[in-house]
Amino acid sequence: MTSEDDLKMLMIDGLRGDRRAHEDLLRAIAPILTAYFRRRCGSGGLEPEDLMQETLIAIHEKRATFDASRPFTVWMFAIARYKLIDAYRKLKRSPPTEELSDILAVEGFESAVSARMDVDRLLGFLPSKQSEALRKTKITGLSVAEHAKTSGLSESDVKISVHRGLKGLAARLRGEN
Amino acid sequence: MDTNDLILRLGADVKPADSRFVTRRLFIALSVGSGLALILLLLWQGLNPDLANAMKHRFFWMKAGYCLALGAPALLSVSRLARPDGQPPRIALSFAVPILLVGLIAAVELVLTPSSQWLAMWLGHSWSVCPWRVLALSGPIFLGLLWAFRAFAPTQLRLAGALAGVSAGALGAMVYGLHCPESSALFLLTWYSLGIGLAAAVGALLGPRLLRW
Repeated sequence: MTSEDDLKMLMIDGLRGDRRAHEDLLRAIAPILTAYFRRRCGSGGLEPEDLMQETLIAIHEKRATFDASRPFTVWMFAIARYKLIDAYRKLKRSPPTEELSDILAVEGFESAVSARMDVDRLLGFLPSKQSEALRKTKITGLSVAEHAKTSGLSESDVKISVHRGLKGLAARLRGEN
Repeated sequence: MDTNDLILRLGADVKPADSRFVTRRLFIALSVGSGLALILLLLWQGLNPDLANAMKHRFFWMKAGYCLALGAPALLSVSRLARPDGQPPRIALSFAVPILLVGLIAAVELVLTPSSQWLAMWLGHSWSVCPWRVLALSGPIFLGLLWAFRAFAPTQLRLAGALAGVSAGALGAMVYGLHCPESSALFLLTWYSLGIGLAAAVGALLGPRLLRW
């Protein structure tokens, strides 16, 4: 339930006033946001969980600024990134430099988005179990154990899916199938 | 707080959202802001007593057109920057168009005018007050935009502030055109632009502080 299309559908229903859809959306993105912040917090006083909750509140309060003709995840990560920078600013420290340059470079942002779309297209060729495992562990940044827990699979199952998925992608890129 | 409790609390607060929220709110802000700027002008400076006559001349419309051509791309960008994932359209060029056009007209003016009168034409009667009045009249419009942005989610605060400043400056200058009796392109190009530029600078300076959320 966490593909761009699913999330966007929940968002749009929520904007129409569907409370259940809105809650489902927030529940679905909470682990994605936690993983996003965990990868970027490092040491030094920032709590991924706090940032995640703050971002959920912001997403709720600012939901009218979502433009339904644009991707939901881009909008969501733009808010998450803003909250991250804001948190670093309050600490009077600068965010990790690679992250900052990502944000400053408009071109970089756009190519990151289109790269994400390329990745989505490639993953679309894989069986859903493998693409989901790859997406969660390699893109969202969950650990194998975390993904196993949220998906109900065993850890070895997740590892095998990741392995086969990568092999499938490599074969695809070599043009073998 | 427990995340689940938080989500339930937020869910309890769900109401249908307006799909044209950003446009509508900007429209309200600009209408109210421009209206207040106009009232300010009437109370403070009054209209140009010769306004009906001035409106027959192309200089009046050149002033209004110049302000509009600067304000429109700025406003378009502001409406994009109201959203967290919004990028301004590539507008550098569209800002250059009115500046170049009025610059061209100013060059023609200079050629047609004896050089002994150039300074008088450039400074007019009000060069020393014009930029400041434009800046003052942009105030209510800028405040309106700040109010609108309180419900938006900008992520490029300095840029959003600067472009809100350009928008407010351009609209403020348009309002000031109802009073201003000057009628040279060189005057417009210098002093109106300076007023709009001041508003942009104020916006860029205040943006990171006032647009935070």
